[in-house]
Amino acid sequence: MASVMKTTRDVKGIGLSILRPDGPDKVTGQVQYVADLNPRGLLHAKLLRSPYAHAKIVRIDVSRARALPGVRAVLTAADIPVLKKKAPTRAHAVLAIDRVVFAGQPVAAVAADELAIAEEALDLIDVQYDVLPVAADPLESMKPGAPPVAELGTEADTSEALAHGSVAGVTTEAKSSKAVNISQQARLQRGDVAKGFAESDVVIENTYRVPMVHQGYLEPHAVLAQWDTAGNLTLWASTQGSFNTRSEVADVLELPENRIKVIPMECGGGFGGKIRALCEPITAVLARATGRPVRYVMTRREELEAGMPAPQVIIKMKTGVKRDGTLMALEAEAILESGAFSGAVLAVAGVFLASLYRWPSFDVQGFEVLTHKPSIAAYRAPVAPQTIFAIDSQMEQIAKAIGVDPVEFRLRHLQREGDKMANNQPWLSNGAVEVLTRLAEHPLWKKRAEWKASSKDGKLRGTGLSLGGWLGGLQPTGATVRLNPDGTLQVLTGQVDIAGTNIALAQIAATAYGVDIDKVKITTGDTDVAPMTGLSAGSKTTYTVGVAVMQAAENARNQTLEIAAKELEASVHDLEIDNDKVVVRGVPDKGITLASIGKKGNLYMSKVEPVLGTSHPAFSVQAPAFCGQLARVEVDPDTGEVTLHNFVVAQDVGKAINPLQIEGQMQGGAVQSLGMALTEALIYDDQARLTNPSLLDYRKLTSADLPSIETIIVEKPAPHGPFGARGVGEPPIVPAPAAIANAIEDATGVRLTHLPLSPERIALAIAAAS
Amino acid sequence: MRRFELVLPGSVDDCVKALAQAGPESKLLAGGTDLLPQLKNGLLKPARVIDLSGVPRLRAIEPGNGQGLRVGSAVTARTLELDRAVRAKYLSLAESGALVGSVQVRNLATLGGNLCNAAPSADMAPPLLALDAEAVVTGPKGERRVPIAAFFTGVRKTVLAPDELLVELVLPNPGARSGGSYLRHTPRRELDIAVVGVASQLTLANGVCTKARIALAAVAPIPLRATAAEQALEGQAVTPDRIKRAADLAVEAARPISDQRGSADFRRHLVRVLTRRTLTTALARASA
Repeated sequence: MASVMKTTRDVKGIGLSILRPDGPDKVTGQVQYVADLNPRGLLHAKLLRSPYAHAKIVRIDVSRARALPGVRAVLTAADIPVLKKKAPTRAHAVLAIDRVVFAGQPVAAVAADELAIAEEALDLIDVQYDVLPVAADPLESMKPGAPPVAELGTEADTSEALAHGSVAGVTTEAKSSKAVNISQQARLQRGDVAKGFAESDVVIENTYRVPMVHQGYLEPHAVLAQWDTAGNLTLWASTQGSFNTRSEVADVLELPENRIKVIPMECGGGFGGKIRALCEPITAVLARATGRPVRYVMTRREELEAGMPAPQVIIKMKTGVKRDGTLMALEAEAILESGAFSGAVLAVAGVFLASLYRWPSFDVQGFEVLTHKPSIAAYRAPVAPQTIFAIDSQMEQIAKAIGVDPVEFRLRHLQREGDKMANNQPWLSNGAVEVLTRLAEHPLWKKRAEWKASSKDGKLRGTGLSLGGWLGGLQPTGATVRLNPDGTLQVLTGQVDIAGTNIALAQIAATAYGVDIDKVKITTGDTDVAPMTGLSAGSKTTYTVGVAVMQAAENARNQTLEIAAKELEASVHDLEIDNDKVVVRGVPDKGITLASIGKKGNLYMSKVEPVLGTSHPAFSVQAPAFCGQLARVEVDPDTGEVTLHNFVVAQDVGKAINPLQIEGQMQGGAVQSLGMALTEALIYDDQARLTNPSLLDYRKLTSADLPSIETIIVEKPAPHGPFGARGVGEPPIVPAPAAIANAIEDATGVRLTHLPLSPERIALAIAAAS
Repeated sequence: MRRFELVLPGSVDDCVKALAQAGPESKLLAGGTDLLPQLKNGLLKPARVIDLSGVPRLRAIEPGNGQGLRVGSAVTARTLELDRAVRAKYLSLAESGALVGSVQVRNLATLGGNLCNAAPSADMAPPLLALDAEAVVTGPKGERRVPIAAFFTGVRKTVLAPDELLVELVLPNPGARSGGSYLRHTPRRELDIAVVGVASQLTLANGVCTKARIALAAVAPIPLRATAAEQALEGQAVTPDRIKRAADLAVEAARPISDQRGSADFRRHLVRVLTRRTLTTALARASA
């Protein structure tokens, strides 16, 4: 796996900036998404959702809805015997049973000939609710006596943390006290914290808050379900993992997995929000009830009100250092609000808080708290932006307090390879130091004093940077590589391409086999035909599937050479692949084309085995990846408006398989990170109802808010990555909140600890300070 | 979106007839940038939609009496932003048009839609208040004129009866030595709604302010004028100190609420900042 392929010539493969072949179809609207599918007899689904965050369902009467012409099915939980009251995950809570636990929770489902008819039918369903007290604030919800969210005895769901891999050695446990809404807790400790603080010269305490935010994929959740007469279910799904979708639907509906085929359609973005099943089970049930294909496409409003956003994270942090900058003690309490169902990556939060810098003593506690809000899911490097916002803001303030250069201070204390993380696992090879050093060498950082001094027209200028990263996920996977009768290669995986990974995988196959990329076609197969594979998540597609593809291509290459050796009566060791031919080294006219080897594998009566390279690896070594970001800002102190003049992203990618795609990931991640920093928040009222359920008031940044984003690719090879590659998707969403907070403080002198860093927060803080 | 009947009138008279037949279950469609999201999200479920796109008079910009201007209710935000006649004497109105939505939205969104939806944050309302505009309304009983200050009656409520239509806005000529400005605050540069909007209009004669208008959006159920602030400037030379004083008085006129777009405190803070800035710009433009 660590071996670097020797190709016989420089093929057009890894290292090249190659455009995605699916790009033109996407920007011209030719690609078929689930919402574009229109099979004969299609029915449209709609869900009736609870207007209340917490209520008892006294009665549901669907008779008027069922009588509406064009309505084919109206279902409630009573119609679906497999549903259980103690739903362990959101996916299992297909329709509410007796009680709703968040506003927007589905209560009844309709399938009708037209979408407009399905919508009309919703109005004809009569539901009588008894409204119950609401747990809307996590700090209140974690106290004894808060209105309970989960049914008593429901188990915590830690599978999200497992899916993102990432942390061993942290035990999370369900709390057994009167605080019924604390669903998980964890604690990481080392050394004597009390002594550390007692011996500290500078102690800084802050509470950091990051609200719930939505992943904001362009394509909302969508699925089409159809059953055949033999009882097999096909799902055309917008998913980050077709095999995971299959498992979850099988589990919820109590079906054998091989009775379900998930066809992964083009996925218009996921960012963690399309890992877990959401609307697939109910759509399948409607299709079974009607005997017709049923399609469900969530609206944007439903996405915001009842999707699976990122948790609100509240971190109380206290740090102590000596006057000379020696780190002494860190104490932190992280509260992750996970909404109505458990599922936050609590352990990751704990590890991030205490593992980046060398704290000799620390005590980090984490609590997952349930509230009556939509349950959360992963969002690109789940909880890393939130925790890094806290720890990096804190490091900046410490450096300022003791009067040392903030970059030197970070570099002095940054954990290196082999150092123990908070969970006592060693840090693996990573490029944190290299990334931070590159950023500190940037002219925008070196000239930060000049920038600050150039403030004019009443505006204030500043510069800030931050460093963050991701530990890297792992999951078993597989791939096959076939040689076609015309000498082209066919790569098959089950991996959903949500980020341009297929072009990178094809480049890996090209280099590993020894042909140009234009000879390689890659296909994402459905769950009936593709090798089983993991989620497109955790920054692990290139890192893990890349290895499978590389090994399968090597395997196919070896099979090809063995066939050629027989045909050419030469030793395998003397052969090489050159210009689509297998040739004997040093004897260029003695050779056989790949096409003729491919043909022999598919000839009537041929005795030559067809070339089928396979690999199905599992993994144990992660590849942490770091990203640094630098912001040059101008603040209007009267209105609090922040103008982003420059933004730089430096990232360790191990080896850039396709630099162009990686730059796209770095810029895209930065934009999401800046949105969290500056404008995004799901805002709930005291009854836990969303007050901003549209993209007008849930503010993703637009191009008008952003400068051109500069990218700097740093390559520190990952020892076990394909050709040294690391995951690249998640690191760039991590640093911007702290970088922007640091830049705003540089410009205005005001330190802000609650996201988003909105004009209101900035202007009122400046007004209060002056 | 629910099923509805679509009516396509070709003239103002046809519109009035369609409204009379349709009853209260009907909605007028101009640009649709506000109506369509409400239809799609099921917030409105009209039985009948009357599409105004086939009525040329509503899209006209024509000279009015006394060198004023008449602007049709279906004139788009983009046209307000770019039209020479509007920009020449009514720059604050052009500025409000330029701030709405994005270019795509501005190509659809209309002046009449912005006013008739009667959101407290409507961007085009403060400039019209500051310009002493009049609304021309027609219905089965004929045409009537309503000063824009009396047009709004509450959040999403106007003086329009269910069978009436806003035809145009009449803008008086502000005179040679007059200048205006509209500014709003939004957390995002485009595709956003005013947290606070302020329009100011100053008219000068011999170094003295003869007429001052300051109008505020998103600080009360309806757009309103800060009359005490206006009076503090009229009859005076407009100095930085008097602008500051007027900005303080404008804050007193505001009656903001706290909501997801901003707290009452921040809104009051913004009224002060934006009043100061729009008055400063209006003074420079009037003096130019």
